[in-house]
Amino acid sequence: MASYDSDHELGDPYYHATTQPSSSSRFARLSRPLIDSVRNGWQSSPAYRSLSSSPENSKHTGCVQIALSIIAAPRFRRYVLVYFVLFLLGWAGWAMVLYPRLEERGALLHALDPASKAEVGGWFGSNSLPQFDDLTHIRTLDPSLVPVARIEVDQLLKKIEFSTTDGDHLILTGDIINKGPDSAGVVDLARKLGASCVRGNHEDRILLLRHEMVTMNTLLTGDEKNVKLHEPSEKEAKERALARSLSDDQARWLEACPVILNVGLVQGMGQVVVVHAGLVPGVDLEKQDPSTVMTMRTIDLNTHVPSESTEGMSWAKMFDKHQSILHSSLKSSHADPRSQTTTVIYGHDAKTGLKIRTYTKGLDSGCVKGGKLTALVIEDGGKQSLVQVSCKQDYSKDNKEKKEKKDKKDKKAKKAKKDD
Amino acid sequence: MRFSSSLLGLYGLLSASALAVAQPGDTDFMSVRENLAKDYESEGQIPTEKYFTESSFHYHYDGRFADQPLPDDKVTPHLSALIQTYLSTMSSIGAETWIMHGTLLSWWWNQKIFPWDNDLDVQISEPTIHFLAEFYNMTEHHFDLPGVDGGRKYLLEINPNYVVRSEKDRLNVIDARWIDTSSGLFIDITAVRKDEARRQRGETEALMCKDRHHYQESQIFPLRDSYFEDVPVKIPYSYTWLLEEEYGPRALTNKNFQGHNFNEDSKIWEHTKRSVKRFLRRGWRMSDLPTRSANNQPLVRMDAS
Repeated sequence: MASYDSDHELGDPYYHATTQPSSSSRFARLSRPLIDSVRNGWQSSPAYRSLSSSPENSKHTGCVQIALSIIAAPRFRRYVLVYFVLFLLGWAGWAMVLYPRLEERGALLHALDPASKAEVGGWFGSNSLPQFDDLTHIRTLDPSLVPVARIEVDQLLKKIEFSTTDGDHLILTGDIINKGPDSAGVVDLARKLGASCVRGNHEDRILLLRHEMVTMNTLLTGDEKNVKLHEPSEKEAKERALARSLSDDQARWLEACPVILNVGLVQGMGQVVVVHAGLVPGVDLEKQDPSTVMTMRTIDLNTHVPSESTEGMSWAKMFDKHQSILHSSLKSSHADPRSQTTTVIYGHDAKTGLKIRTYTKGLDSGCVKGGKLTALVIEDGGKQSLVQVSCKQDYSKDNKEKKEKKDKKDKKAKKAKKDD
Repeated sequence: MRFSSSLLGLYGLLSASALAVAQPGDTDFMSVRENLAKDYESEGQIPTEKYFTESSFHYHYDGRFADQPLPDDKVTPHLSALIQTYLSTMSSIGAETWIMHGTLLSWWWNQKIFPWDNDLDVQISEPTIHFLAEFYNMTEHHFDLPGVDGGRKYLLEINPNYVVRSEKDRLNVIDARWIDTSSGLFIDITAVRKDEARRQRGETEALMCKDRHHYQESQIFPLRDSYFEDVPVKIPYSYTWLLEEEYGPRALTNKNFQGHNFNEDSKIWEHTKRSVKRFLRRGWRMSDLPTRSANNQPLVRMDAS
C-alpha cells in the first residue's frame, strides 16, 4: 500500500501533503501478496473524507457557478424579466378581467335561472302594481310626429342633420328639466320639434310638486307659510320655484311623457323601449314599477329588486344577458329571433357614462357636468350610429347666472325616416 | 255609561297634562313662532312617563276603549275603516300625512291591509303635528259605516310630549293616535322632524322620528298620490327604496309570509291553510266606504266624503 500510496503520493503531488503512510503497513507489504495491500483505504482516511465530499461540493459550486453565470448572462436576465412580466400580465388578466367576468357571467346566469327563483322565494314584480294619479305609465309611440333647434341641442341636431320634414323624430330620455340652466327652453324646443320624451326622476319630482300646488290651489299664491305642510328643504324650494315657473302648456306636455315609451319594432333591434333609468329583466312593461324605472342603477342578483345605489350589479348588464339568453334560445325555433327581443334605450346614469351594449343603450354622458350630449341615431333598416357634441361648461356649478344658455343633457335622437 | 264618564275623565286629565307641557313661557309656542315649528326642549326635560299606554291584553289595543281583542275575522275590516276614516279626516282638514313601515309594505303588495296585521303606521310632518295639537287634539269624529249600526266614533289624540324632539324620549315615540273607540284599535301617528344634529354634520336633508327612524327629505317628499283600501293616500316619494332599506329586498319578492301566500292572479294574500272566504268577502264597493256623519263635525270642514 505504501508503494501504492507512495505511487499515489508521487504520482499525484496534490495528495502528498495529506497522506500519512504508517511503518507497519510498509512491513506487511513485504510479507504478503501485493493484492492484499490493495484496499480502499482512502475511503476510511479522514484526509480523503474531506476530499470525498468535495466532489459534491464542487458540483454544488459548479451548479451555483453555472446558475450564477446564467443569471449573470444578459440574455437570461432579459428572459427572466420577460417571463416575469408575462406571468404578471397573465395573472392580472385572470384576476382582474377574466375571473371577474366569469364570475359575473356565472352570477348572472344563476340569477336569471328560473330554478333559482323558487330558491329565493320569488322575483321582483309579482305585486299588484299601485296606481298613481297623473302618471302616464306606458305609451306606444305614434309614428307621425314633426320637428328644428339651440346651443348643444341645436348643435347636435345640426350634426345629425335632423329634419322633421324628412320624417325624423326626436326622443328624449328624460331629466330634460331641473338639471340644465334653461328647463323651460328645452321643453319649448322639444314641443316645437314634436319630440317624444319619457318621464325622468326630475320631471317626476317637479310634476308631483306642481300637481300638489294645483290641487291645494297654491300655484299662484305660494305656500311657504302653510302650517299643515312640511317645511320645504332648500332643494325642494328650488324645485317648487321651477314647478311654478312652468306654464300650463309646458306642464301638460311633460305630464304626457310616459314612464315607459314603447317605440315598437325596429329592424335589427327588436322591440325598442325608451325609459329614463332602467327596466327589470323578465318583467312585463305593464308590470314595471314606475318609481324604479325612473331611478334604478343596480339590481339585486337574488331577488331582482332594483336599487338606485351605484354599488352592485348593473341592471343593464343583467338585462343584456337576459335578452341574449332569450335570443339564443329562439335561434333554432324562430326565423327572426331578434324581433322577439327588447332593446332598452336609457339615460340617468351619468356616472357610468355612455354604455352601449347589444340590448341596452345608456346614453347619459354627463352634458350638464361639462361632458357630452349623445344621440343614438337610428336610421331605416335599423342602422345605428352615435353622435356626440361636447358641452360647453359645467352647468352644475354655475347654473344660477347662466340662465340664457340653452342646454340639455341626455337626449336621444331617433332619426326614423318613415317607410311610407 | 262607564265609557262616557271615563272619556270625560280623560278629557280633564289631558287638558291638565297639555297645560303642564305648554309651560316654557306664558304664551303658547305656536302663536308666537314666526317660521315653521322648531321648538327645542333641553335634554333635561325628557319626560319620565309614558303617555300612550297599551292595553293589558294586547299591545295593539287601547285599554281605555276595550277589554278584549276583536275576533280574528273582525280585525281587518276594523283596521280598514280605521285607515279610511283617518285618511279622509286628514284630507278634509288639509293636514299632510302619508303611510309608512308595514302599512307601506302592504300597500306595495296589493294596496290592501295585510290580513295578518293588527296595526297601522302613518307619519305626519312636524308643522302638522303642531297644527293638529293646536286645533284638533281630542276631537271626536263620527262616521257612518255600511253594516255597522250607529256607526263608529274615532278620536284624534295628541301626545302632549310631541314638543319634545329628542330621540331620548323613548317612552313617547308615538306622537298621536287615531283611535277606534268602538274596539280600541288605533293608528300610530309619528311626526317626521328635521334632524338638527345630523344637519349640523352636513346632511342638509336629514329627517328623524322619535322612534329612531331616519330619512332624507327627498326620500319622502314630494309625496305621491295613490290609493289604499280604496281611498286616496299619500305615498313617500322613494317608496321602493324606503321599503328595501327597512325590510330588505326579500320583503318585496317573498310570496310566503306569516302563514299566507300571495296569489299572483287574484293579487290577494291567501291563508295557506284556512279557506280564502274571509278575503274574498272583502271586495269593496264605493258604498262600502265610511261616510262622515252630517251632524257631528263642528271642527272639520265638510268638503270631502
